[in-house]
Amino acid sequence: MVDKSQVLSLCRSLLRAGRKYPDYNIREYTKRRTLDGFRMNKNLTDPSKVEEAYAEGKSQLEVVERVVKVYLAYPPKTKNIMELKLQ
Amino acid sequence: MQARQMAHPENILDKLIKITIEKLGVKEDEVKANSSFVEDFGADSLDTVQMVAAIEEAFGIEIEDEKVESMVTVEKAVEVIEELLKEKA
Repeated sequence: MVDKSQVLSLCRSLLRAGRKYPDYNIREYTKRRTLDGFRMNKNLTDPSKVEEAYAEGKSQLEVVERVVKVYLAYPPKTKNIMELKLQ
Repeated sequence: MQARQMAHPENILDKLIKITIEKLGVKEDEVKANSSFVEDFGADSLDTVQMVAAIEEAFGIEIEDEKVESMVTVEKAVEVIEELLKEKA
């Protein structure tokens, strides 16, 4: 049975992995989607549904880690205007 | 004691206060040194994860789970950040 600390650790891992994207839009989308996804499922109590959601999260983490490598090989040539504004 | 009267590097505290205001929706004058993120600002566990991620990004550090558990107040969070920045330097 997945416990709370594992769920929070998975959330943190997804946020950390998403930060590595060199593309601003994808980086922000990953952050937003991760938090939305975990908030949407935060009231799950049925153990099988919790396990299912956790497994989905883990598989998404693998996707992020894999795709980050591809994006790092071909980083954008210019910064997004939102990144320039934040500086 | 108001958070700004603490004897900590201004830039760490200022950044932390800014993150707290942005992520938890509190007002600057509500943030005190001994303010608890959970008890005083009503942060749930996902808010805490979001705060920690923002802190890691803002300061360029990685905070281990054990250290996250000790960051219950503003003052404790500043201490952890200072410690990690010193290790990084």
